[in-house]
Amino acid sequence: MTSDTPARRRARVFSRRRSAPSRARRRLGAAVRMIAALALAGGVYTAFTPGAFAEDNVQLSAAAQEGKALFDNSCISCHGRDGQGVEERGPSLIGVGSASVEFQVSTGRMPMTRQEAQAEQKTPQFDETQTKQLAQYIQELGGGPELPEGELVEDLKTNPDALARGGELFRINCTSCHGFGGGGGALSSGKFAPSLHDATQEQIYAAMLTGPQNMPVFGDNQLTPDEKREIITYITVQLQDDRDPGGLFNLGRYGPSTEGMAIFLVGIVLLVFTSLWIAGKS
Amino acid sequence: MTAVHHAGEAGTPPVDVNDPHLTRFDIVKEGLRRDDIEIVTYESQFHGQNSKAEKRVVRNIALLFAISGVLTLAFIVFYIVWPWEFELGHTRSDYFTPILGLTLGFGLLALGYGILAWAKKLLPHELSIQQRHGDPSSDEERLITGQTALFVADELGVQRRPLLKGAIALGLAPVGIAIAAPIVGGLIENPHKGDLPMMYTTGFNPGNNGGELVRLTREDGSPIRPEDVTTGGQMTVFPGIPHGATNHWADSPTLLIHLRADDAAETRRNAESDKNGRNVGSMWGNFVAFSKICTHAGCPASLYEQQTNRLLCPCHQSQFLITNNAQPVFGPATRRLPMLPLTVDEEGFFVAASDFKDTVGPDFWERP
Amino acid sequence: MKRRKIDLAQAPVNFAKGADDRFQGATPLRGLLNKVFPDHWSFLLGEIALFSFIVLLLSGVFLTLFFDPSMKEIAYDGSYLGLRGTEMSAAYASSLHLSFEVRGGLFMRQMHHWAALLFMASIIVHMARVFFTGAFRKPREVNWVIGILLFLLGFFAGFTGYSLPDDGLSGTGLRIASAIMLTLPVIGTWLSAAIFGGEFPGELIIGRFYIAHVLLIPGILLGLIAAHLGIVFKQKHTQWPGPMRTNENVVGERMFPRYAMKQGGFFMAVFGVIALMAGLFQINPIWLFGPYRASEVSSASQPDFYVMFMDGLVRLMPNWQIYIFNYSLPPMFWPAVVGLGALFTLPLAYPWLEARKLKDKRLHHLLERPRDNPERVGIGMMAFSFFMVATISGSNDVIADKFHISLNAMTWAGRIGLLILPPLAYYISVRICLGLQQHDRQVLAHGVETGIIKRLPNGQFIEVHQPLGPVDEHGHPVPLEYAGWVVPKKMNRVGALAPAVKGFFFPVEKPAEVPVSPAVGGPVKREEIKSGR
Repeated sequence: MTSDTPARRRARVFSRRRSAPSRARRRLGAAVRMIAALALAGGVYTAFTPGAFAEDNVQLSAAAQEGKALFDNSCISCHGRDGQGVEERGPSLIGVGSASVEFQVSTGRMPMTRQEAQAEQKTPQFDETQTKQLAQYIQELGGGPELPEGELVEDLKTNPDALARGGELFRINCTSCHGFGGGGGALSSGKFAPSLHDATQEQIYAAMLTGPQNMPVFGDNQLTPDEKREIITYITVQLQDDRDPGGLFNLGRYGPSTEGMAIFLVGIVLLVFTSLWIAGKS
Repeated sequence: MTAVHHAGEAGTPPVDVNDPHLTRFDIVKEGLRRDDIEIVTYESQFHGQNSKAEKRVVRNIALLFAISGVLTLAFIVFYIVWPWEFELGHTRSDYFTPILGLTLGFGLLALGYGILAWAKKLLPHELSIQQRHGDPSSDEERLITGQTALFVADELGVQRRPLLKGAIALGLAPVGIAIAAPIVGGLIENPHKGDLPMMYTTGFNPGNNGGELVRLTREDGSPIRPEDVTTGGQMTVFPGIPHGATNHWADSPTLLIHLRADDAAETRRNAESDKNGRNVGSMWGNFVAFSKICTHAGCPASLYEQQTNRLLCPCHQSQFLITNNAQPVFGPATRRLPMLPLTVDEEGFFVAASDFKDTVGPDFWERP
Repeated sequence: MKRRKIDLAQAPVNFAKGADDRFQGATPLRGLLNKVFPDHWSFLLGEIALFSFIVLLLSGVFLTLFFDPSMKEIAYDGSYLGLRGTEMSAAYASSLHLSFEVRGGLFMRQMHHWAALLFMASIIVHMARVFFTGAFRKPREVNWVIGILLFLLGFFAGFTGYSLPDDGLSGTGLRIASAIMLTLPVIGTWLSAAIFGGEFPGELIIGRFYIAHVLLIPGILLGLIAAHLGIVFKQKHTQWPGPMRTNENVVGERMFPRYAMKQGGFFMAVFGVIALMAGLFQINPIWLFGPYRASEVSSASQPDFYVMFMDGLVRLMPNWQIYIFNYSLPPMFWPAVVGLGALFTLPLAYPWLEARKLKDKRLHHLLERPRDNPERVGIGMMAFSFFMVATISGSNDVIADKFHISLNAMTWAGRIGLLILPPLAYYISVRICLGLQQHDRQVLAHGVETGIIKRLPNGQFIEVHQPLGPVDEHGHPVPLEYAGWVVPKKMNRVGALAPAVKGFFFPVEKPAEVPVSPAVGGPVKREEIKSGR
């Protein structure tokens, strides 16, 4: 017990995720994935491109062609031709990556209806395939962060520790803006961190990877893909799906502000009516 | 006395309580008379005994008591049989607390309303008047008590014996202080003691690391390379000393920010032209590190807005502009966030070139 | 001699005789049984606080059986998967254990917390009642002072209790408390170091708060509550003015049986409401907050509602720092130390201030309706609106987020509101009071509006008024004296029209009672009194 200091124990808890996969292996994996992706893109390209010349100097896949059509229809007014950006209206999309597009479009933030402090979440204008096509187009245009293949959450049956680790990472990296309960919070001058209660796994992953709007970027060197998956596990399993054990109503998990309202609106009101009845003439 | 009407004097005459003809209520009334209480009305709420209305009320009260019994019994049953151990997800055990609350709550409410209905509907209507007797003691009484108190003082004779007076002041005063001293003295801790006074130093002081520069680490103690933080990213870092990430070093958590190139240039410009020169040369590349501990009340000011480059403190909404030496731009904070001088050691890990040059954390009286 | 047979019927009598031989209790007991209490719904608000305090004691004792006030770091290995393996203090781990591994423990924890909120909320409501009706006047100033001390102690009891689980939210609160201590001139750093046993947070504070929360503060609370009730008992309760009611008597019900039964039933109702809330509404889900780490914080970090006014004032304070040579006075000193001090000392002194202003040295046992002292109502509303703006500002980030208002705008709205709303509230409430009073006086002078319009021979239309009292030889009502009590304003209230239909949801057959007013009641007919049965 004496040699087993808390720090050391904590280090052990963390060391597992730090050591595996090692940096070298991660790099190797990235290289392999890159080559595979290139090969795949090339294959798709040769399979689908007809003999005709592409209009632009960038060679686009079929999906990206569809995406470009959508882009030219809905996004070009702010983000400009080929996503180069328009001064004072919309930023360049070169290098933002497909992850960013998937986040912004699937949450309905893009296309924006008007310029304001922060893009609002709305009903998405594009369906899933359209979103993927747009993302593919932007990806092929300038590269950038992409969502990984495969599951974005850990399986708690095989890896039960992932939940607590995800919680720990969530509290140090995410709660300051999104709150302990994931209900979101206010930022300066009308900006805000949105609620995470209806965010999908892909959206959370993409948001961490790309840092939409005022959210900081959590690159893969800072939070490894495994750590991101752990955070997503915590958000989806603990904050979204777990029913609160403490009552039928969780008062929005807003903490003391709603609790204070409840004690007056329910407790005091019930008891004042009771005392009115007690002292009333029968 | 005054013109106040006193039931005991002007009201019903006293009765002989031993008179066998008196009813119990007559005796009660005699007691009331002696307590200066007059019953003005005291009548049943129902016309005649066992009236229909009365029976209905009795039935309702009995029903409330029965409901209370059933619900509290249900409380006991659910307490014993309902699965209660916490399980993840949407499970039956999530309803354990609500069931306990609903059964016990409504059970007690039914009991309470039953008792209240009994008192309110069944017991006779009553209107009694009691005299307050709030008059102060008579002047004579006051005089006697006062003189008695003075007499006690005279007996002690402190006035006549000045030596004793001095002895009380000088000889006995230390006794009181002696009782208080260990209580107060045991609590006193010098906040300014030691080579590294706690109010002015943090875990990044090389003195805590055997004179070596302190590395910036993650919460698990792993050091950080510049490429670990993406552009537009931020990371909470801790001093790379034993227990550096624990609450023992509560003043040390720091926010390492990787700024975009243009923001970094502006930040650098402002840091280099810092008035008191403390932030000069503290940036490393496009990286800048600020204490995470708000200079207002000590909350972690960590709501980093990567586009506006503001840091917001969630406790009292102070806002700091990172590009301008983290000067406060809104809210109750007066002092900028201290900047941690950054550099990179020979292995390529971030280290603190020195401790913070401004005092970290909330303001206090002696802060220079 | 043969032993006498025990007469069972005689046993209680013998017991009572024996007791009186030894304690001479018969006469005082009769006084207690016969004590008269006035009856009004607003007199029951303080009881809510008393009863929730009893619930607090009961549930609190249960919690101490499982809580471990230690800041030793351990790894959690309980059933809550989301924290398993996490390093935390033993205090936090035992709070989780209490919530998840003790059958009904979470329910008890939530009852304790809701009872605490109800305790503070009912103190506020009770205090407002006492203030606005002038019940604090001589001879009850001391009890008013005790009441404010009870609020202050409740404030500290609540804060220490909120800190005990050592979770992420309460640790943030502790940090702010330490920062508030640091703002004190000269002694700030020494005070903070003394309380935390060194630098924040140290390893002692939970243990120290624990003993304060379970022994010191409840001990003093208990003593003050006893004194509070004892003084009410000794001085007898205030009553509203009305027929037969004078400054020298109490009109109401005897304590037993009806009044005591109502109290018992009300206790059960308070207990029931607390249990219901503990089951329905989740409060303080510490498992989501994680253990306290100095580097972690959540958006929307707030104290419980009764501390929120202070947090709100701290949020609204502009960043004005005072430098005196090499020393500095941080801006938080003003709202947190001076503000809190003023918010307690001003009400503390108010009874004497008001008496001094009115040159009033009489004893008051009759309450004043709020409208009969507009000045006091104005001051009360001023304080209340100040408190409300400060409290709302204490959660201005939640409001900003949920209603999509700029956070900075909320802060500015609070700053401006804090300055503008109190005087506005003063003016409006004084005008309303004067208006209501005026209307009462009008009815006393001219009578009740009948709704009958009469046309005079010269063509003029007038409304016929029903005089409340006698009329002079010209048929004009003789003005009645203003007595500070309810004046009938509708014809059916004086019995001239069909009574108003009673009943909340459906009409009750019984006709409405004819109200009595000192102005119209006249000499009350007193009948021969018989037993109620």
